[in-house]
Amino acid sequence: MRRIEQGVTRPEPIAVEIDGASVMVHPGETVAVALLASASRRFRDDRSGAARGMFCNMGTCSECTVWAALGTSPWRRLRGCLMPVEPGLRISTREPEAMP
Amino acid sequence: MMTGETSNFDILIVGGGLVGCASAWHLARLGLKVLVAERGHLNAGASGQNAGSLHFQIERRFLEQGEKAAADGARIVTLNRLAIEEWRGIEDMLSRPLDVAMHGGLMVAETEEQMALLAFKVARENELGLSTQVLDRAQLRERAPSLSPHLAGAAWLAEEGHANPRILVDAFAEGAGEQGAQIRTGIALTALSMARDGTYRAVLSGPDGEMRVRTPRVLLASGHWVPRLAGMLGLNVPLYAAPLMMSVTDRTEPVLPYLIQHVGARLSMKQTEDGNLLIGGGWPSRLARRADGTPDLDRPATVEMKNLRANLAVAARVMPGLAQRSLLRTWTGTTCISADQLPIVGEIPAAPGLFVAAGGSLFTLGPVLARLLARTIVEGSPPEELSMFLPRRFAHLDAFAVLP
Repeated sequence: MRRIEQGVTRPEPIAVEIDGASVMVHPGETVAVALLASASRRFRDDRSGAARGMFCNMGTCSECTVWAALGTSPWRRLRGCLMPVEPGLRISTREPEAMP
Repeated sequence: MMTGETSNFDILIVGGGLVGCASAWHLARLGLKVLVAERGHLNAGASGQNAGSLHFQIERRFLEQGEKAAADGARIVTLNRLAIEEWRGIEDMLSRPLDVAMHGGLMVAETEEQMALLAFKVARENELGLSTQVLDRAQLRERAPSLSPHLAGAAWLAEEGHANPRILVDAFAEGAGEQGAQIRTGIALTALSMARDGTYRAVLSGPDGEMRVRTPRVLLASGHWVPRLAGMLGLNVPLYAAPLMMSVTDRTEPVLPYLIQHVGARLSMKQTEDGNLLIGGGWPSRLARRADGTPDLDRPATVEMKNLRANLAVAARVMPGLAQRSLLRTWTGTTCISADQLPIVGEIPAAPGLFVAAGGSLFTLGPVLARLLARTIVEGSPPEELSMFLPRRFAHLDAFAVLP
């Protein structure tokens, strides 16, 4: 999935971390957008290990739930479609083994 | 499906929740021709939104209202004992797993004052044949190491636990259908009257049109909407909406096999089969309102953030590990309380053939009340176990009703 570039002006990009990799995103975008822009549709795994991804994009289905942490705060499970990106944000699509 | 003709049934049950579907299950088995009419879809109201607690100790809401209420609360224990037996047999009765876990329940205390209240409560329960037991700080620590070491103790009841409110009603509805009950969703009761011969005429309306029903009996099993429906006959059922909320965390390893309640604060907590922690306890949500400020019971209540924070704070105080969990979702549901806090179950004296069953704690008590109600309807008089819940205690409210 790609951003529409033509005729669109966005704020200067910032870096967030997704599964250990640095990804550039624009302020105002959500974590769900950041994940889709990183060319991954896998937001989380179900109990059988199968991939699950964003479905409703409006906070209802919880399919886009990821782990997120800001700086040294503990990891939290949050719905990616409702969470705006910010500098220093770390996102994990698998359960983090240790606190950041 | 919908015609202008009138259909005859032995009973019309209004409301496809736990009480309605469980009553239909019993009555269909007893040979009655049953119609269940549900305005939305099955299990859409309080029956599917509640905490799923199987609580048999005297509830905190009775204890906080003084001695008179505590005495009333104690009377419900006799019914709770029947409910324990009902839940023990329910998976066999309905021939399917319902996530019934009866591994025990703890009503915790944080202060010595609360411990004294627990001792008073346990003594009363023991007199009434319920084998609750006071655990001191050390005994509680041994029984439930995941709870806070700062708790002063708890009242323990081995039979308490929880079940899954998402699947119970479906099991009753399916079983009732197999026994010949008609269960229709998406049709609302839009008119109800008593004919000169004492039978009832109902109009049910849905997107496909209207259905007319003639029946000697009607059961209003629609939770906090019961007063509105009884009002169609000019009758007064003193039930009042109680909008609540529930929260669920992400899954974790098994840490809590018990139902947790608190004697001095609003709390219910349990771990589901899947590992999620469910948190509630009677914290109010906010009823939707119409433009004129009156409650709008047809729209969902909304989460009250202040109460949600307070609910989670109590829960985390009781089980500190909760602070590591993430809150997945909070939802609202509206139950109801009666004027004296006890459920209202049975025939309305001013309207023979009209039955009601609503009034709070009806997940725990629903299955057994449905059984007793079905007996009432088939035998023509209520069994002794229902006597304290009969609508006749509010008969004075219908002293000026004009029927038919």
